[in-house]
Parts: sequence; C-alpha cells; structure tokens
Amino acid sequence: MRPRAAAAAGGAIALVVALGACSENTGEGTTVDNTRQQTGVIATDPKDSKGPAAEVAGASKGGTFTIIRETAISHLDPQRTYSFAGLMANPLFARYLTTWKDDGKGGLVLVGDLAETPGTNVNNDCKVWEFKIKDGVKFEDGSPITSKEIAYGIARSFNPDLAGGPTYLQEWLADSPEFDTKWDFKKNKTSLPPGLTTPDPKTLRFEFAKPRCDLPFAVSLPTSAPLKADKDTGVNLDQRPFSSGPYKVAKNQVGVQLTLDRNPHWDANTDPVRHQYPDQFVWSFGPTQDAANNRVIADNGADQSAVAFNYVPASLVARVAQDATLKSRSILSPTPSANQLVINNQRVKDLKIRQALNYAIDREGLIKAVGGQTVAQPITTLMPPSTIGYQAYDAYPAGANGNLEKAKELLGGQTPELVLGVADNTGEQRIAPQLKGNLERAGFKITVRNIPDDAKLDEIKKKDNPWDLYIGNWAADWPSGASILPVLYDGRTIKAEGNSNQSYFNDPAISAEFDRILTLEPAKQGPEWAKLDQKIMTEHAPVVPLYVDVAYLVHGSKAGGVFVSSVFGYPAFVNAYVKQ
Amino acid sequence: MSLSPVEGAALAEIESTGDGDGDAAAPKAKEFVGRSPGQLAWARLRRDRTALVSAVMLVFFVLVAFAVPLIEALYGIGPREQFQSRLDGFGMPLGYAGGITGEHWFGLEPGLGRDIFIRMVHGLRTSLFIAFAAAVITAAIGILLGTLAGYLGGWLDAVINWITDLTLAMPFLIIALALTPTIALRFYGQREAVPPAFQIGVLITIFALFNWTSTARLVRGQVIALREREFVEAARASGAGLGHMLFRQLLPNIWAPILVSFSLAVPSFITSEAALSFIGVGLTDETPSFGRMIYRSLDYLQTDPAYVFFPGITIFALVFAFNLFGDALRDALDPKSSR
Repeated sequence: MRPRAAAAAGGAIALVVALGACSENTGEGTTVDNTRQQTGVIATDPKDSKGPAAEVAGASKGGTFTIIRETAISHLDPQRTYSFAGLMANPLFARYLTTWKDDGKGGLVLVGDLAETPGTNVNNDCKVWEFKIKDGVKFEDGSPITSKEIAYGIARSFNPDLAGGPTYLQEWLADSPEFDTKWDFKKNKTSLPPGLTTPDPKTLRFEFAKPRCDLPFAVSLPTSAPLKADKDTGVNLDQRPFSSGPYKVAKNQVGVQLTLDRNPHWDANTDPVRHQYPDQFVWSFGPTQDAANNRVIADNGADQSAVAFNYVPASLVARVAQDATLKSRSILSPTPSANQLVINNQRVKDLKIRQALNYAIDREGLIKAVGGQTVAQPITTLMPPSTIGYQAYDAYPAGANGNLEKAKELLGGQTPELVLGVADNTGEQRIAPQLKGNLERAGFKITVRNIPDDAKLDEIKKKDNPWDLYIGNWAADWPSGASILPVLYDGRTIKAEGNSNQSYFNDPAISAEFDRILTLEPAKQGPEWAKLDQKIMTEHAPVVPLYVDVAYLVHGSKAGGVFVSSVFGYPAFVNAYVKQ
Repeated sequence: MSLSPVEGAALAEIESTGDGDGDAAAPKAKEFVGRSPGQLAWARLRRDRTALVSAVMLVFFVLVAFAVPLIEALYGIGPREQFQSRLDGFGMPLGYAGGITGEHWFGLEPGLGRDIFIRMVHGLRTSLFIAFAAAVITAAIGILLGTLAGYLGGWLDAVINWITDLTLAMPFLIIALALTPTIALRFYGQREAVPPAFQIGVLITIFALFNWTSTARLVRGQVIALREREFVEAARASGAGLGHMLFRQLLPNIWAPILVSFSLAVPSFITSEAALSFIGVGLTDETPSFGRMIYRSLDYLQTDPAYVFFPGITIFALVFAFNLFGDALRDALDPKSSR
C-alpha cells in the first residue's frame, strides 16, 4: 500500500472511531412519552356520520403530497385490498359503508361513510342489518352512488378470480367458508348473493343465518366499496380503480408511481372523515426502508412534502430520536399489532409453568433487544390497548424486568425443559438469545430450535407442532375483542392445520363465554371482552403477552396532517396537506 | 521437510553474500556454503519484514484462540452474559464509544447487551478453527486426488477431472442454502437443539466439498510436469511402488505451491464463514462467531460505529495478515516469482 493510501485509510478509520467516541450516551432524552387514552365507540348519533369533516388546524389547499414506499401496493382494487398499504391508500379513492373517525391518538368512532349511520340492527338479533345510503354521494364520473352499486361491489368479491381481500362478508352471507361455490358470481352477474338485497336505491339490507353483530365493523373494510357494473374491468380494476372518494387515479405506472388527482364530483358535505387538501397525491415505489427514511430526513425538494410509509428502521432509530430538529417531523404511536410468547397448551399442561413464564418475562430487556421503545411497547393483556373497551391489568405483576424469584417459587425446584421454536429471520434471531437467557435465569431450561423463516407460520399453525413456545403476532381487522379473543382462543375451532389458535387453548367455559358475548350488541361487547381477557389470563395464562409494535414515522417539513391509524398502525392520509 | 528432488543429495547453491545482508557473512566472504532449498527459503522468509510482522500477528491470534478459557477466567465475563442495565431505552449502550469501560473493553452489543470483547475472543477461536480445519481437509483431498490423477493418468485422470469440473459447476451458495437446514433436520429432531459442534462440522464439510478443486488442479498440473523428469523415471526404473513414487518422489517437490494455496485458503474461509452468516446458513446466534457479529453490527453503522469497528478491524487484520504471510511464503519458496 502506498503511503498516501495508507494515510487515507488510517484517517478514515480514525474519523469513524472519533465520531463514535466523541459523544457520550447518557441515556437522557431517550424516553419517549406515548401514553394515550384509547377509546372506541360506534356512533349512535347520526350527526357524527354527516359531513363535512372538521377542518384540520393549519391545513391549506394545494401542492403535491408524496408517499415513499419500498414495494408497490399489492392491490388497488378495493374488493381485493387487504395489505396495510392498500388499506391506507384506499380511502383516498374509495368510500365504504362505514368508516373510522380517527383522531390518531386512539380515539375511534365508527361512523357511516356512504351510509347515513353505522347500520341498523333491525330485529336486535344481529341477523338483519339495514344501511340507508346518503344523498349526494357520487362516482368520479358524476353518477350517483346507490345501494345497487354497493351491493354489486360486495357481489364481485365472491369472484375467485378477484381473491385477496377480506372474506368476512362473503362467508357470513353464504354461511360457509367455501362461499364461492355456494354462490357463483360469474354465473349470476345480474343478481345478488343470498341474503343481500336492495329494497330501494337508498337501502341496503343484509340477512344472515347466524347473528353477525360485528357487521358494522366488517363493512368498514374496502369490500363494501361501491362499483358500477359497467365500470367493472375485472382483474384490470387493480390498475385503475373507479373512484368514489376525494381523489381519482390520474396515472398508474405499475410498480413505479401512482398519481392521484382531485375528484371534482366528491362532495365534502357527504363525507365525515376525508379531506381534499393537496392537488395531488403521489405514491412513489422503489427506495428501500433505509433509503426512503434517509431521503425524508434529508428534507430536500419534493421530499419536503413527503412521508416514508415504512417505519424508521431500528438502525436509524437512535439517530432520529436524538435529533431535536427531527422531533417535530416524526410521529410515534403504538399500533394494534400485538406480539405474544405463545405457549403450546397441548404440551405445557401445567398451569404453574405457564404462570411462571408470565412472572419470569423481562419485557424491558426484550424491548431493548428488539430495538427499544420506538419499536415496541410492553403489554400485559391479550388484547392490545387500541381495542374497544380495553381495560389495563397485569395478572402476573412482576415489574418491568420480571420477577425471577416468584417464577422459581411457582416452579417449586423443578426445571421444566421447553423448546422455543424461532424463525431464522433477523427479527426472531434477535429475540431468541434474549428469551433463552431471561427464562434460564428464572429456572427453565430452554432449547432454541430454528425453523426456516418461510415455513414457520405454517408449522406453528399445525395442531401437533413439536414446540412448546413460539412468537405469535396478531393484528386484528377491526379493534373489537370479537376479532381477537374468539379467533385466538376458541378451542372448538382447532383443526389439523392452519390454526389461528396457535396456543391450542381449549376451555369449554371460555368458549361458552365467547358465544354469549358474540350475540350482544356491538356497543355492549367492549367491556365484556375486556373482562373475559382478564379472566382468560388469570385462570389459564395461555400465552405471555409481550409487546405491541410501535409505528415510528418521519415526514418532510412541509408535510402536515399525517397521523398513524389507530386501527391499522400505518400512516393515514385523510387529513394530509402540504404546508404552503 | 526436505525439498530436494532426490533425497539426501542436497543441491548446493553458491550463495552470493554480497547482495543484501552483509552482517555475519562478511568475514568468510569467499567461502562456499551448502544450503538446502528449505534453508534458503527460510533465510529469505526471515529477511522479509512483512512476513515477520504478519507472522507475529498470526501467532498472536492463534495464541488468543487457544487461550480462550484462560482469558475468560481472567476477564470474568461469559460470552452469553447480558448487561442490559447498561443500555438506554433504545437498546444502545450508555457511555462513550459503544459503552467502553474498564469492565467492558470493547463495549457492549446494542440490544442484547453482551460483552463485545469476550464474544470476539470466542468468535476468533470459532473462525480460526473452521478455517484451519477446512483448509487442511481441502488440501488433503486436493493433494490425494491431484497426485493420483496426475501420476496415474488414463481413465482415473479422466474421472477425477470430470468430478472436478462437476464440483466447480455446482453453485456454492444455492447448495449451501439448501443443504444446511436439511442436514440439521436429518440428524436432529424438531425438538432438539442443533449443537454448535454439528453446525461447525457442517460448515467445514461444505467448505471442504467445494474448495478441494483448486488444490487438486494445481497439484495435478505440477505432478504431470514432474512425471516425465529423469529422477522420476529413474525411481520407476528401479521398481519403486506407487506409494514411494507419490510420497517420496513427487510430493516433496510440490510442497511450495500447496503451502501457498493453503495459506491463502485460510483467510478466504474466514471471510466465507462471515458471508454465509449474511444469508443465514452459518452458525446460530448462540455460537459466537465473526460472521454473525459483523452481520449484526452492520445495522448499527450510523448509530453505534464502535460495534462495527472492533469486529471489523479484527477480521480485517486477521485476513490481511494471512494474505501477506501467504504472499511472503510464496516469494520465499519460489524465488523465480520474486519481485
């Protein structure tokens, strides 16, 4: 090596070391306050469902708002939308029967969107529901939206060619998981699925065989977006959805950029949540999570009115959080995506061992291992705090770092040997040594078994999987206990493969409670779910609740009105504006 | 080890004492000194300052690797011990430069809070062991197949060449990706942990399986060149057996290129081990290794550069020393190639 090159290399190394060494990390300013009061209700007052939505303070019209994301949105067709990006993009160009009025701080109200109210429970048995459609709602070509178009939208979701979206409405109407064989959309394009009727252009009526009290929530998903039959381009609707919302697709370069222009036929007076501030929305695809966030942090040119859709990556978190100038440009919010250490109840039958695991868990250490408080927030409940009716409790109070003594006491001197199955991806490989160290200090003997990442989910969903412990994650489609507890803990649903009940918890008394609460009115269910949550944890401890994922976003200095959806945990754009 | 073509009959070389070192040779300037090529190589090696420095570094690394239990006992911290109370709310180490203190010499890992120094010492041992073992096995297979193919020729040569070509054509990464989990599943049940010794064994096997080809080709070429030389023909005419021909006549003459290829293979295995960790088929996190450490640390380049620096600079020094030493060895053994 020539002396000059050597000097340059030496200098570079010295610089790196100096940069790292010159500042002392005292741990100050790294606590992030994200306490929030989570409330969620279904609007009983029809006024709540009326437009226009309240003006956003400081908002102004005009400009182009950019959203940078690594991969393209998998589906734009509302009936096929189920990804988080799709669910956040859809409200810009699609309206639903109901929607969430969300203050971004956990205050949620379910209001009518195209419907005047969030549904009428006709006989109070949750079997017959009616929705009255608002006056003055229009498509992007100016034609009025009636119950017929909404019904057609739901009908086309039965088409197996248009799969990918949620299947609640289809399964409930057909009263069968194989809904596409019960009612064939392609053969009955002019009729409607069983149970779905349109008595007049202003009324949409659902009739179910069983009580479906969660219907108002289910129709807040894009399945209920309207479509005119003559505008249905089948699979091509994915490239250019027919708009009913404040924006319409102007140009779609698939996989590169999606440009949305104002829809002049959208009437703010009919819409309780959406705004139409920017002239244009641009979804730009391609930059990696790191690149997108670095661009937005740099805040140059068009990026000033941009937001990075993907969260700040763990490697940049410390830098962003400690930069005071970025504070006003970052959003931090817990999401409803809850993570548990799932205990395989078929294998770990001893309640004391499950309780000991709950006492032993060091949530603070675990959260440090996954990236800190901007990545995860501890929970001790089965339902995440964003659930309607949520009540905080800790059935096994052991402090932030766990109570090893209490755990050892419950184990009574024995050393249970448990096998922890972890995916061989970066995230879970970070958790595995942490959990092993933590639990072994509490008197367990933990064997870590790696599972190939792509197979892990399928494997742990098999009833007779060979592991005792694994990491589970659940993000509900709507913030009701009904979409969490019965799905995850109803033992009667356990089948050979594809189980959501990954703890294989089965208790007849708890299952009976599910049945009882599910037939209650949606508004009355919330507190009941919270009570049942605590009952399951106290009496059975089927899992160890660990943490909820935290959304951490940065946006440009001219981007305003962005908030993290309390329902899905990703940035919502209904209030977005460009600062002038 | 003797490098003479014919055992015992040392090829005398007249060493000119005038060029280069004029220290002890000056008084007996006109004397003829008989030296074997081995002695000559050693003399050249000793004169090479780069070789000296890199050899000292290598000895140091090997000593550290051997002394791991001793270092751990003196240092008083285990490779799996966690010090999370010394991390801030983001899991970043408190204090200067990634948490360097008198207690933790190279600081702490962000997140898990394990001591970087002791994990590096352990990782050094793992990496050196894998690299040395793989290089020895590679060389052994390569020498055996190469000499056989080169000396015997005929159909055996054709078959070995064919196998070599086949091995060279196989995509290393894809097979490593497909093979490692499968082998683990074959030998260990779904509820058994795969012990580190097994993972290390698999890694060594995979390296050996894919890397013997270059040594085999090298040796084969050398043997073919020697096969027709007079001393070989003389031995053959005297009725020497195959073993004698291979190990007494041919091999002693091709040690030089083999040694060089060995010394260059070791660092390439060290970096390969690190590279395999990048695609997740190396060792698991429970076994400290350089590959895993560097893989994990890269995420923290912007936020905790010290974590990247220590393992990075060490693996750099290790591989650099090996390569320099390999070059110096080649220069010493093969004077024709010297600058």
